[in-house]
Amino acid sequence: MGLRDNAIVAYAETKVMEKSDRDVWVLSGEILEELLDKTGIDKNEIDGLVMAGLSGTGAGNPFWAQTTADVLGLEVGFCEQVHIGGCSAAGCVARAAAAIDYGMCEVAFLLFADTHVLEDHTDHSHSYRREWTDPYGLMGPPGAFGLLSRRYEAQYGLDYRMLGKLAVTQRSHALLNENACEKLRVPITIDDYMNSRMIADPIRLLDCVMRADGAAGLMMMSRKRAKQKGLAKAIIPIGYAELTNFKGGENLVDVTKSGHEICGKKALDAAGLTIKDIASFHPYDDFIIAILLQFEAFGFCKAGAGVQFIRDHDFSYNGDLPLNTGGGQISAGQAACSSHNLVEAVRQLQGEAGKRQVKDTRNALVTGIGWINYGRNWGSSAALVLVPE
Amino acid sequence: MAKALNDTLGVKRTIKHFDFSEPYWEGTKQKKLVIQYCKATGKYQHFPRPVSIFTGRRRDIEWREVSGKGVVFSYTVAYRATPAFRGAEPYAVVSVTLDVGVNFVANIVNCTAAELKIGMKVKPYWRPLDDGTHLMMFQPDNGPA
Repeated sequence: MGLRDNAIVAYAETKVMEKSDRDVWVLSGEILEELLDKTGIDKNEIDGLVMAGLSGTGAGNPFWAQTTADVLGLEVGFCEQVHIGGCSAAGCVARAAAAIDYGMCEVAFLLFADTHVLEDHTDHSHSYRREWTDPYGLMGPPGAFGLLSRRYEAQYGLDYRMLGKLAVTQRSHALLNENACEKLRVPITIDDYMNSRMIADPIRLLDCVMRADGAAGLMMMSRKRAKQKGLAKAIIPIGYAELTNFKGGENLVDVTKSGHEICGKKALDAAGLTIKDIASFHPYDDFIIAILLQFEAFGFCKAGAGVQFIRDHDFSYNGDLPLNTGGGQISAGQAACSSHNLVEAVRQLQGEAGKRQVKDTRNALVTGIGWINYGRNWGSSAALVLVPE
Repeated sequence: MAKALNDTLGVKRTIKHFDFSEPYWEGTKQKKLVIQYCKATGKYQHFPRPVSIFTGRRRDIEWREVSGKGVVFSYTVAYRATPAFRGAEPYAVVSVTLDVGVNFVANIVNCTAAELKIGMKVKPYWRPLDDGTHLMMFQPDNGPA
């Protein structure tokens, strides 16, 4: 048994909302209902609940996953909350597969539910921030990415218009995605990107993800069980790796490098693929420059060559390297525990992406970025390779 | 683009310390930068930790005074601020590589936007806090080495 003996048999997703008009558990119930309806699975067959811990609404409750199991009436042999920030959604897939392999559950409900605009209990006070960055007014992620961008520019040069190109492509995808946040479904140009107001120079407004509310979910089981049940559109995770606190035992670290260099190679090796084989790319996007850094870290191009790589490729859903075809988080909204790019990849491989359907559905590479560490780039990196059955 | 930078000296700060950081804050009362040093590896570390990040051991940690001089590793200019800093925008946050080989994030004073550059030399600037400690900030170091 291993990762690839498991299958994602269905996905579900609410529309992304600027602010939810209903409770996070109502959204969770909608996801559960949709997954049950899609798969024909009986509610009582679910014996695993795997929740992304990146929930502002759930953050104040140490018993969040258990409470949610109770609210939804689920009796489970495996109850898990995954806490690797923006890597949590991909991390949930790997942990559900491990639990199924180990026999702790047979049918896992993966739930990504958050209404952090409506109700946020996030508390960063017990962290380095209170002594080492809050007293200097460094504003969380935008501040950290401002430092990171300026350093990248000094090392390699940075044509901001090429970051704008990525922003425009992702926005054009959100226009084709009815589940994207309505506020963001407005076309933009590279000039709009360049002229958007500075937040943490050189980070502009249109570099940044917008927090939004919503929920999504996946249903997983063994590949064998999926076949027995006739769930033919199964998506198979064939490679996964994550890394937290890259070079955490070193002082001076090149902030243009990340744990993706390591976990990207591991995940691709496990999948038996090289980066050139990747048919569509769904990288975690909290800031546009994170996509450029991932082009380099995953080996699409060499370190420092990200701008040229962007110039040379078409990242539209019908281009040579389809990128975040649902709009990415930056143009769909940062909702549902940052699971948007994962759910979009599953949808694409199932051939259900409608007007934005990619042609090549041989595989998809999904990534995660989680948490901001002191004076570096990010705390966790993840990579997940998916293929259709 | 030579925009003015605010120095944030007027921003009120109340800082809650971790107990394992206290020797740092004690040092700042005398405007001394005292940071952690790992005896086993001969390396400094910042921010303070309960253990050496190199060996994982508490007993390898000691505190040493350092100059606080260094060069700017990177910087960002905040046009949107955290609540405590509202009204102080735009202000710079710099990451400085100290001459003992650690990066230190802080604000910079006595520096215009045009002067602020990666690689520029800086030295400490101590901003008094109400509890008798000082907040370590940076200022350009134009003096002899």
